[in-house]
Amino acid sequence: MSENVSPEGTTRLVVGPFNRVEGDLEVRLEAAQGRVEAAFVSSPLFRGFERILEGRDPRDALVIAPRICGICSVSQSHAAALALAGVQGLVPTDNGRVATNLIVATENVADHLTHFHVFFMPDFARAFYADRPWFARAEDRFKAAQGRAVRKALETRATLLHVLGLLAGRWPHTLAIQPGGVTRGADARDKMRLQATLGAVRRALEDDLFGTKLERIAELASRDELDAWRANGPDGDFRLFLEIAADLELDRLGRAYDRYLSYGAYPGLDAPLYARGIFTGEGLGSVDVTAIAEDHTNARMEGRNRPHHPFDGSTRPDAEDETGYSWCKAPRLGGLPFETGAVARQIVDGQPLVHDIVRRGGGSVLARVVARLVETARTVIAMEGWVRALQPGEPWCAQGAMPEYGRAAGLTEAARGALGHWLRVENGRIAGYQIIAPTTWNFSPRDAAGVPGPLEAALVGAPIRQGETTPVAVQHIVRSFDPCMVCTVH
Amino acid sequence: MQGLETFYEVMRRQGITRRSFLKYCSLTAAALGLGPEFVPQIAHAMETKPRTPVLWLHGLECTCCSESFIRSAHPLAKDVVLSMISLDYDDTLMASAGHQAEAILHEVMEKYKGNYILAVEGNPPLNEDGMFCIVGGKPFLDQLRMVAKDAKAVISWGSCASHGCVQAARPNPTRATPVHEVITDKPIIKVPGCPPIAEVMTGVITYMLTFDRIPELDRQGRPKMFYSQRIHDKCYRRPHFDAGQFVEAFDDEGARKGYCLYKVGCKGPTTYNACSTVRWNEGTSFPIQAGHGCIGCSEDGFWDKGSWYARLSDLHGVGFGIESNADRVGLAAAGVVGGAVAVHAAVSALKRAQHKGDTGRNTSNANGSSHTGDAA
Repeated sequence: MSENVSPEGTTRLVVGPFNRVEGDLEVRLEAAQGRVEAAFVSSPLFRGFERILEGRDPRDALVIAPRICGICSVSQSHAAALALAGVQGLVPTDNGRVATNLIVATENVADHLTHFHVFFMPDFARAFYADRPWFARAEDRFKAAQGRAVRKALETRATLLHVLGLLAGRWPHTLAIQPGGVTRGADARDKMRLQATLGAVRRALEDDLFGTKLERIAELASRDELDAWRANGPDGDFRLFLEIAADLELDRLGRAYDRYLSYGAYPGLDAPLYARGIFTGEGLGSVDVTAIAEDHTNARMEGRNRPHHPFDGSTRPDAEDETGYSWCKAPRLGGLPFETGAVARQIVDGQPLVHDIVRRGGGSVLARVVARLVETARTVIAMEGWVRALQPGEPWCAQGAMPEYGRAAGLTEAARGALGHWLRVENGRIAGYQIIAPTTWNFSPRDAAGVPGPLEAALVGAPIRQGETTPVAVQHIVRSFDPCMVCTVH
Repeated sequence: MQGLETFYEVMRRQGITRRSFLKYCSLTAAALGLGPEFVPQIAHAMETKPRTPVLWLHGLECTCCSESFIRSAHPLAKDVVLSMISLDYDDTLMASAGHQAEAILHEVMEKYKGNYILAVEGNPPLNEDGMFCIVGGKPFLDQLRMVAKDAKAVISWGSCASHGCVQAARPNPTRATPVHEVITDKPIIKVPGCPPIAEVMTGVITYMLTFDRIPELDRQGRPKMFYSQRIHDKCYRRPHFDAGQFVEAFDDEGARKGYCLYKVGCKGPTTYNACSTVRWNEGTSFPIQAGHGCIGCSEDGFWDKGSWYARLSDLHGVGFGIESNADRVGLAAAGVVGGAVAVHAAVSALKRAQHKGDTGRNTSNANGSSHTGDAA
């Protein structure tokens, strides 16, 4: 954290390290007249997983890739399994698909709960806001590590993770997801235990977070309904958030490009639960995966002369590079930065409330947080259906053979958004493995054309009060993306 | 240590009742493998001793250790330990941000010089002067050395801090290096696993905070109370191993009958950890119970010992004759491991004799092996 003022009156601020985000993050700000004019986002942690994977047995990706991240490990494992299934031409069994959905959804819902209670809301319990009418309630509920809602949410989360215990053996770093399905089927007794577990999670969410049935949250359809909820909806942390958001105008904070990408989440027999697609100013569109490329201009990586499609990508740090300011590459779709996450999934899926918020005020801090909460409700409802759909005794894992040559992309949705693994197999070994994680999209640095990444764009215009060295508005915007920095660079 | 609250005071302030406190003490005794007669001793210690500050640092890592830790079995244990830690410094969970957090770190180091415990999650990368892991504008390596200097002891959480883990796998692009190869003048308690089991983590830290002592360690520096048995020794599928009944592929007949996973790559016979006894996610299950073999994540070098799934192809990719071949392998393995059990028992008896009288001795840097790999 440092500060200096240039002769032109532009202040330079370095904010970081950030706590309550996953991993290390540093943001350089240029500010004038109490507003951010430019932001540069840096991921200061690099491990080189893509290099470590090269030359190994392709199946070992199932053990190594999840260890990129202890928070999104299931999503990483799912992407690896999908890439391997693609190379093997393997389709998971119905039970395998449904159980995988349950496993992935458990992690995503757990992450949404953690984000809201442990990472995002505690900022409103800081002394900075002591004069606000809602402060006492925010402090009681959300003070870091002490608030009543924080403790309760951690308990609910531990309960929810029993689903992973039952279906996947343990969490973090489960091993159960395989290219052909899962390593363990569920019997009738497991189904009962899963139902009981999800019932307990539902009750906790309905009692504390929403104050009402999950179905009512899932059905919210417009900004007006949301405003009515704030005024006289059921008591709960959701309503407290809406009150805080209105007071602080979080619907006017942190707007990026309003351009969204979702690979589609939770495969079904015909279509995924949440649709695949893009959403831009021109409305909905399909994802052209061949148009994805990573730009290394500011990434301190070799290969700055051209963008790299992930099948043709490389990860070679360039220690001599003086211009790069992050270890994060800049992924672009059709040459443009895209935002990803719950807000992207819900808007691409046509969820009317999220669509209305973005249409009327743009993709703000409010839009991101509301999308996550609406998605939490929708996903838990879907999970209850998947438990009913498990068929004891039916096959849970299809068998396949690894070819000597092949390539495939494994595309899934982590809690934080679109996650892709691009795998090339040659001579039976991994010849190339490139990963683009959700926060790689959201926290990307500038590309060759100087176009900022989504967070860099979202921070422009953020207010900085006199004397503020860790501007609280910047903290809200950064955390509204629920960044996962260890996934970002891997 | 003047002016520091006792554990009991911290718990009372957190709204925890006397009844819950005593329950916590008995749970702790059970978790540590101590008899009920130790409960009053633990209670007394917690009522009278000032709590030991813990500083929790994150290096090159994936945060799986923290994630495991925050959902330990007993909510009370988690609450208490977590609140004690976050009172001091933990950059993933604590309330304050940026330079305020750094200021707290320095304040605790200064005030409790020589008396605090340093808990490290992740490890320092040494290549390019440590620039692959920058915390607050400086290499993590510098922060680690600075905080370790006046620490009473160091806990290496997880396989990254203890051994290097997958980020140190060939070609180890950043030269990720375990803590004991960098900090060589402090007692180091290794708690390996990727991640370690939550109850093992809370057990180790509670023991140290309660008794103000380092738990008895094995030659590799791991607490004996949790790492003295192999997964295989207490595995509920062990009878199938002894009977020569094996899973040949995920979802085959053997898998449905819950047979032994040795032939699909299980490393249980060579892995020292508490998974098959303590289990995961509040005792719900563990990887073997979910039909996947143990990958040996708490063993040094588990990431570079050949494919985890290689056995699968070795046994299945050879066309005709696989049945006899597979059976032969299975029987031979049974013989070898059976023999190993006997040897292990004898060695344990010897060790018990050797260890009489040196309980509690600190073992730091007992494992001098290097696995930092080549520079990228």
